[in-house]
Amino acid sequence: MDKKILIVEDQDDLRLLVRLSLKSLGSIVLASSAAEGLEQVRAELPDLVTLDVWLGKGDSGLDVCRAIKADPATRHIKVLLLSACGQQSDVEAGLEAGADHYMIKPFSPQSLFETVATMLAG
Amino acid sequence: MLAPPLPQDAAHRLRVLLDLNILDTAAQERFDRITRMAARLFGVPIALVSLVDAERQWFKSRVGLALDSIPRAESFCAHALMQDGLMVVEDARLDERFGALPIVAQTGARFYAGHPLAMPDGQVIGTLCIIDHSPRALDDEQRTLLRDLAALAANEIAAIELRRAHERRLANEAWIRVLLDHIPDGVLMLDANGSVMSANPAAEQMFGSDLYGLAGRNAVALFGEDAALLLDPELTAAAPPQEGGGRRIDGSTFPIEVQLAPMCLDGQRRYAAIVRDVTRQHEDAQRSRATEERRRKHFTTATHELRTPMASILGFSELLLKRDFDPATSRELLDIIHRQASRLVDLINQLLDLARIEAGGTEGLSFTRVNVAELVEQTLTGLNGLGQNHRIRVELETGMPAFSADPQKMQQALTNIISNSIKYSADDTTVDVSAAALQRNAKLMIAIRVADHGIGMTPEQLARIFDAFYRAGESPNVQGSGLGMTIFKEIIELHGGQADIESHPGTGTAVTVWLPALPDHG
Repeated sequence: MDKKILIVEDQDDLRLLVRLSLKSLGSIVLASSAAEGLEQVRAELPDLVTLDVWLGKGDSGLDVCRAIKADPATRHIKVLLLSACGQQSDVEAGLEAGADHYMIKPFSPQSLFETVATMLAG
Repeated sequence: MLAPPLPQDAAHRLRVLLDLNILDTAAQERFDRITRMAARLFGVPIALVSLVDAERQWFKSRVGLALDSIPRAESFCAHALMQDGLMVVEDARLDERFGALPIVAQTGARFYAGHPLAMPDGQVIGTLCIIDHSPRALDDEQRTLLRDLAALAANEIAAIELRRAHERRLANEAWIRVLLDHIPDGVLMLDANGSVMSANPAAEQMFGSDLYGLAGRNAVALFGEDAALLLDPELTAAAPPQEGGGRRIDGSTFPIEVQLAPMCLDGQRRYAAIVRDVTRQHEDAQRSRATEERRRKHFTTATHELRTPMASILGFSELLLKRDFDPATSRELLDIIHRQASRLVDLINQLLDLARIEAGGTEGLSFTRVNVAELVEQTLTGLNGLGQNHRIRVELETGMPAFSADPQKMQQALTNIISNSIKYSADDTTVDVSAAALQRNAKLMIAIRVADHGIGMTPEQLARIFDAFYRAGESPNVQGSGLGMTIFKEIIELHGGQADIESHPGTGTAVTVWLPALPDHG
């Protein structure tokens, strides 16, 4: 069964990097802001979302994550936070917001691929 | 001759005598009338009020003797001092203690009678004595008379002591009053229930009322609940200082540190309250917390900003190493790696620059006399082709005074705002660079203005313009570290200058830098 992955990332280069890393795992949907990301979550109902934490303009991926997990229609969607904030407290805040996994930038495309594959299989 | 013995508590006796401040003072009628009376009543040639210190006996009053003192060792009185009551020597020549005394052997004294002069506390400091050149005896009536006269002399000395004690107490009170009036800490006396009984001027000022307003108010009202807990009836020593919320009479509050010490006055329990206004300490602590918070945030942001380009560099290079891409895609990915690596280097340089400027302060700058026209010209030359598609219009007032600056740093600050104007405005638009000498707050300032017709900023964007790593609009087409304006602000402030920014979305942005002008030929 074809899996659907939504990539929410405001930086063009990184959006491309994540897309190239994950494209063999399923169909890819892209969003470059918090608002667009939430919109796509509801419209596309992906299996998994990779979510940047600092989305620019003061928007936080943690809010998007909380919204996904608060809505019964979307809470089953797996969320992988991808963030350049690498302190223990950042990771804890991410998991508290309901994320299923937290990955710190810079990351290896191979390990991102493996992590997402495992999450989709689980 | 036998040396007179020393009294047991000689040191204390001497202290009492010295404290009277009576030794070597002028004759006084109050004592002279007693010696005159003694000489006449007993029909003797010599009558003395004698005070005995460690070395000598000194006569506060004397009848019939030319000397004002004689050595203690040669005196009758040092012996009389040791007596419980009257000492009578009927014939000194027949007494081995006194036969050899110069006053006996040379002056011809034969008879001595002396009564100790005792202070109210019992300390004996001298004698009232009579001396005759022929032997004689005293009957009971005469003994009583001499004792009564000695009591009169002792009363006179006691009166002096009373006045001295009163003066000492007044001096003590004056000292304490001056101290309380001038110490910056508030000092209040509270009764057993914590109600104010008195307050020093610092306390009155601190709580915004004179004593009439403070008297009767409870410590809880003035120091807050926590401080009132210190009013512990079990408290036997000063409690450690406690922080509290001070409340002025007008209801306003201020942070205090208060210390209470229990004490006893006229048999009643009281508390001394020492109150210190710690507003300044609180502000200092708050400022350093804010600085610490800013540093922490800056560090977090810097780490985030450095990791972001690294994510592209590491990620795309790994993809290129592990996967096969067509030549066009490979080239595109290499281009991203190169661009992000350049950004990383730029970020590191700017971060180091900012850290250097912040750490060095004004001492890190090399101030010299800077001419505005030269500065602007060098800045524009240094843009190195940036802005070649814009029209850069320069308009400088002639004859402007110079100003004091580090030319390299000032050029860096100007470069940052001019390059922002170029980056955030369309090709073929104009960027105006102008300068003039203007009065501002009654001071002559150099105003350098850089204005563009670019995309401008919203008030929200403008409010964050100096935040490190903030990039208005986050326009993906605009390169930059987000540190340019932070560095600009640091440099201008280190030069004692100010910056005004006006900006409207769609209209453009104008930055004016104000720098203090140097006196014309100074």
